[in-house]
Amino acid sequence: MSRNISAPLQRTARLLDLVPFINTHQGIALKDLAKHFDVTPAQMSADLTTLWMCGLPGYTPLELMELDFESGFVSIANASTLSKPRTITFQECVALLLGLDLITSSLPSDRQDLVKVAESLRARLTQFLGLPIKLSVVSETSGTVAMAIARAIETKAGLHIRYHSMYKDLVTERTVVPVNLYESDNHQYMRAFCLTAQDYREFRVDRIDQAAPTEVSSEFSGKSGNTEKINFSIRIIRSSRDVSERFAIQQSAVGTSQELSSFSRQWIERSVMASGDAVQLSIPLDIRGEIVKKAQLMLNRYKEA
Amino acid sequence: MSRKIERLINLTIALLATQRYLTKSEIFRTVEGYEGSAETKERMFERDKDDLRSLGITIDVGSFDPIFNDEAGYQIRSEHYQLDLGEITPTEVSLLSLAADAWQGAAFADAAQSAILKLSSIGVPADPIDIPGLSPKLSNSSADLETVTEAIANSDFLLFDYLAANLESQERTIIPFALSNRSGFWYLSGVDQEIQEIRTFRLDRVQGVIKHGKNRDAFEFPTAFELSEADTIVNSRFAVIDVRKGKGQALRSLATSTKDLGEWDQIKVPIHTLQSLASEILWHGDDAFVHEPSDLRDYIVTQLEILVSNHE
Repeated sequence: MSRNISAPLQRTARLLDLVPFINTHQGIALKDLAKHFDVTPAQMSADLTTLWMCGLPGYTPLELMELDFESGFVSIANASTLSKPRTITFQECVALLLGLDLITSSLPSDRQDLVKVAESLRARLTQFLGLPIKLSVVSETSGTVAMAIARAIETKAGLHIRYHSMYKDLVTERTVVPVNLYESDNHQYMRAFCLTAQDYREFRVDRIDQAAPTEVSSEFSGKSGNTEKINFSIRIIRSSRDVSERFAIQQSAVGTSQELSSFSRQWIERSVMASGDAVQLSIPLDIRGEIVKKAQLMLNRYKEA
Repeated sequence: MSRKIERLINLTIALLATQRYLTKSEIFRTVEGYEGSAETKERMFERDKDDLRSLGITIDVGSFDPIFNDEAGYQIRSEHYQLDLGEITPTEVSLLSLAADAWQGAAFADAAQSAILKLSSIGVPADPIDIPGLSPKLSNSSADLETVTEAIANSDFLLFDYLAANLESQERTIIPFALSNRSGFWYLSGVDQEIQEIRTFRLDRVQGVIKHGKNRDAFEFPTAFELSEADTIVNSRFAVIDVRKGKGQALRSLATSTKDLGEWDQIKVPIHTLQSLASEILWHGDDAFVHEPSDLRDYIVTQLEILVSNHE
């Protein structure tokens, strides 16, 4: 239900939806009914009392709905007019379609049976919308990988992964023990103890392209070494959306300086390089030196060719 | 308040049960709750109709005697009122609840749960799908999605300020017809009214709130448009780049072809904008080397010279 609908209207909608629900769940406990509709039992009693007064014009006992809920269990009769569920709204249908698309693209590759069912549902919901609009959600995480991680977390087991590290620009294979999954900045991350690095590491789940369960000796130290953040400072020479998004900064007026920090030297170096003429790295000096060295090396190659 | 609610329910029942259009005077005479002066009743009825429509109930207006064109009548058709998605299976019920749960804490959480509530009234029990880790979420969606969907439903205008690549704020007016989510970002596609061409916008680059404007003209939906094309440009140019073996994963993922050169691979990458591709190439340092086109090469060389002078 849309948030901009007033309380009395929300209640009207609930009453309309109550009739078909009780109709297919005759004898349901009042407290279960209240829970299903996310209201208190007292509110549910009030709703049923109101509903009791409704019916077809005439409003004699013959036309009114018959509701029985005194025993704490609810049943309904003589409600054929409202007995079928209300149709879903355009917005509700869009919400279901987008959600369904995400689920479909997250299914593990060995569940083609479910993909088929989802596609048939999608076709019917799209037809229901009645407009040639395009909706799509592509899950950034492979369902097979997500399943392997979830199993490993649940059973505290090891996982052999193939990971693309963006900062190092390397595809590495490592053995990890996943701890948990979390969301940050639009992406899903896995926190895990990496046996290769003997330390805790964060992995972006969409950059894990393979994950398989593996045996891990129970005696890994599990201790965290201290990874310290590297402070760095950049001066904005040309402001651009690219720079604001890359360094996650709000203010990027020309001439201003930004004090920032990162866990990765490589990330700092690459980000400054990628920003080209837009940004100057003030500190640390050693990374400045690296940038000059690398840029000079590349220039030489371009001039040779 | 509960008298108003009773009246709305009774009105719905009366309009649903009738086989023909009911006139206003018939409604006032028979449906319980319409009291007071003619004017009061009239006002009540107008508001009630609007209220029911805001709940998504379609009320048909017509005349039951077309020849004499007399007083207008009202009716709710059961085919408009009732849910009809065909036969629903227990597995489908489960997939739909997973779809609704994907919105947990996000823009359409309420809409999705309200749809599930209606579906639960069909009385088909769910057949739980047991896939560990299958609970993807559509998080980080902006509240604007409601405005966007409403505009899509009615082919209305959306007006917003968009942050361009040069950090300029541009005023845009579009008629939207597509909404997608890729790599964790929401994208909105529509016909830009100023240039009458399809443009795609990343929702988190919209500044401030999106405004809704009524469109009274007919809108022709673009049919040839595919969401997967939203990022590419037709007739785009290509760059030829050498990438060191085992390196340049991000560049390789853009490649349309790859040639093995031994220590290096030569890849062909479409150019979306020169600047964005140059930035991607510079990120990869001395693991990537541009052959063609010459303007991209020149741009990279200039950037490198500035990088050297800025950091010496």
